[in-house]
Amino acid sequence: MVERDLAIRMFEVMALMRAVEDRMVTMYRQGELLGSLYTGHWHEAIAVGTASALRPTDVLAPLHRDLGAHLWRGLEPWQVMASFMGKATSPTGGRDGTLHYGRLDLNIINPVSHIPNNYPIATGAAFALRYRGTDGVAMAYCGDGASSRGDFHEALNLAAVQSLPCVFIVENNQYAYSTPLTLTTAATDFASKAVAYGMPGTQVDGIDVFAVHEVAAAAVARARAGDGPSLIEAVTMRMHGHAEHDPADYVPAELHETWAKRDPVEECAARLTELGYLDADGVAEVREKARATALEHRGKALGMPMPEPDDEEGRVYAS
Amino acid sequence: MPLETDGPAESVSYLEAIAAGLASEMEADPDVFLIGEDVGQFGGAFKVTKGFLDRFGPRRVIDSPIAESGFTGLACGAALMGLRPVVEFQFADFISCAFDQIINNCSKQHYRTGNPIPLTLRAPFGARLRAGPTHSQSVEAYFAHIPGLKIVAPATPADAAGLLISAIRDNNPVLYLESKYLYRRIEVPGPLSLDPVPIGSAKVVREGTKVSLLTYSVGVHQGLEAAAELDQEGISVEVVDLRTLVPLDVATITASVNKTSRAVILHEDARRLGYGAEIAATVAEECFWQLDGPVVRIAGKNTPIPTSPALEDAAVPQLPEIISTLRRVATT
Repeated sequence: MVERDLAIRMFEVMALMRAVEDRMVTMYRQGELLGSLYTGHWHEAIAVGTASALRPTDVLAPLHRDLGAHLWRGLEPWQVMASFMGKATSPTGGRDGTLHYGRLDLNIINPVSHIPNNYPIATGAAFALRYRGTDGVAMAYCGDGASSRGDFHEALNLAAVQSLPCVFIVENNQYAYSTPLTLTTAATDFASKAVAYGMPGTQVDGIDVFAVHEVAAAAVARARAGDGPSLIEAVTMRMHGHAEHDPADYVPAELHETWAKRDPVEECAARLTELGYLDADGVAEVREKARATALEHRGKALGMPMPEPDDEEGRVYAS
Repeated sequence: MPLETDGPAESVSYLEAIAAGLASEMEADPDVFLIGEDVGQFGGAFKVTKGFLDRFGPRRVIDSPIAESGFTGLACGAALMGLRPVVEFQFADFISCAFDQIINNCSKQHYRTGNPIPLTLRAPFGARLRAGPTHSQSVEAYFAHIPGLKIVAPATPADAAGLLISAIRDNNPVLYLESKYLYRRIEVPGPLSLDPVPIGSAKVVREGTKVSLLTYSVGVHQGLEAAAELDQEGISVEVVDLRTLVPLDVATITASVNKTSRAVILHEDARRLGYGAEIAATVAEECFWQLDGPVVRIAGKNTPIPTSPALEDAAVPQLPEIISTLRRVATT
C-alpha cells in the first residue's frame, strides 16, 4: 500500500478529474464547448494509478480518457477547457483542440485521434530516453478498441525486440465507440497478448487505484532497470458515451448498473477512510475543493481570448 | 572533408554520395541515428549503409523489424525528444504503410503543438529497373499535398550529399527521394564537396533561351541529354533542376520561364495530379503574360508501372518523346 501523502494526493487528483469532467459535461450541455466532449468517467484510477508511478522526467503518451494523468503532471484544468473551446491559450493555441491536448514541457505527448499511433511514438520517446543515457521510461495508453490496429502490434513488437523502457496500458473499457469487446477481439484477455511479444502482461482491476499503481510501479521499475517493456490491461467500463453526444443506448442496462456500483473515486475514498488516512470530513473537503477548482477554472477558461489568424502558413514549419 | 567511398577514388557515384552525406552528419552530430529494414548488418537493400553498423555501432544503426508505421512512429517520437533520426524505407513503395504516422504525427506536429520534428525519411523511388507496380512508384505527389512536410529529390551526387545533410539538419520532417535508378549510373569526379545544399533552392543546370524544361531527379539527366541533341539543331533549351519540391523555388522557375517564354515539365510519376500539375499551375499564375504557348507536361502514363521491359519503357518518359516535345514547343 502506498504511503499516506501519496495516497491522499492520488485521491485529490482523481476527485479533481471527476469534478472537472462533470463540470465540462454541464458546459457541453450549455453550449460552451466546441464539438463533442470526451470524458474518462471510471478511468480515474487508471490515469492516476499509472501516472503516479512515474517520475516527472518520464514520458506519457495518454489518450482522451486520461485527464488524471495530465492533472498529475501539472496541466491545469482551464487549459483542458480552453482546448475544448478553441481558445488562444489552449495547449495548441486553438490550432488543434478539443481532446487533443498535452504539453511536452510536462513530458506529455499531445495525441491525435488515430489511436494507437501514440504507441509507436512512445517507443520513440523510450528510445530517446535510453539513447541519451537516462533511465527514463515512456508510458503509452490505448483502449480495447485501438488494440485492433496495426500500430499496437508494431509498437509492442518493436519495443520488445529493442528491449525499450516502455509500459503499455490497455484500458479495457468494454466498448470501442458502439462496438462491444466481443466484436473487437476473440481473445478478450488483453494481458495474455503480451505473450506474443515476449513481454510480461498483467491484468488489473481498473477501478482500484492502488492496485493499478502497484502493477504500474512494477512495470516501470522493470523498464527503468533495463529489462524491457510490459503490457498492463486495466479493466473498467466506459460509463459515459463515446462522447457526450452519444447516449450509449447500445450498452445493456444491467452491464451499466453492475459497473455503476463500482465508482473508482468512491472506492478510493472508502479505502482512505478505512486506512485512517482521511476521515469523512477530509474526504468531503477534497471533493468540495475539486468542485470549486473546476468552477473557478471554467470562469478562467471562458475569459480567455480566441485566437486571431496570424501567419498560419508560417507556423506550419519549424525554423 | 574527403569522401570515403568503396569506389575508385577518382569518381563518386550518386549512391556513394548519399552514404557520404549520411556518414558525415552521423560523425558531426551524435543525435543522428539510422533506423530501417536491413540497414545494419546487411548494409541496406541497395547497400547505401554498407559498413555503417561497424562504423557507428548498434546504438545508432538500428535494424528494425518489418514495421514501417512502427519505426516511423518510433523515429517521430525520438525526434520529438530532440534526436535527429534518419529513416530508410527499403523502397519508397513501402512508405504507404507509414502514411498515418507521416501525415498525422510527423507533419502536423509543429503546426499543432509548436514542437519541431527533425526527421529525415529516405525513400528510394522511381521506375526503369523492371521492378513492377509495387517497387517502382513515385510517391512525391501524395506527400506534396501535406502541410508540414518538405520534399527533396536530388539528381546529382553533389546534391544527393548536400541535400541529405540539409535534410538531417532541418527541424522539420523531410522526405528525401533518392533515385534508385541513378544509384550506380551517375558518377562524378571526386573528391566530392560535402557542403550542405539549401532546401528550397532550384538550380539552372543548363542555360538556354527558347524553352524551359522544369524537372527533377532522373528527368534532369534526360533533359540535359535532350538539350545537347537539340543544341545541334540550334534549339536552345534551359534545364531547371528543381531539387526541392516542397517548398518550391518559384522565383527560379518564373525567372527561367519569363526569359524563354515557354515551359515544358518532365517527370516520371503519372501525369494525372502528378507534381507537374502544381508546377504548371504555378507557371500559369505567375508567367501567363510572358508565355508564347501553353505549358506542356511530359509524364508517366496513368497506369501502374509495369514490369516487362517493353511495357515499362512505354509507361515512363523516354528521350525521343522529350526531344520531340521540346522541339515542338520551342518552334511553335
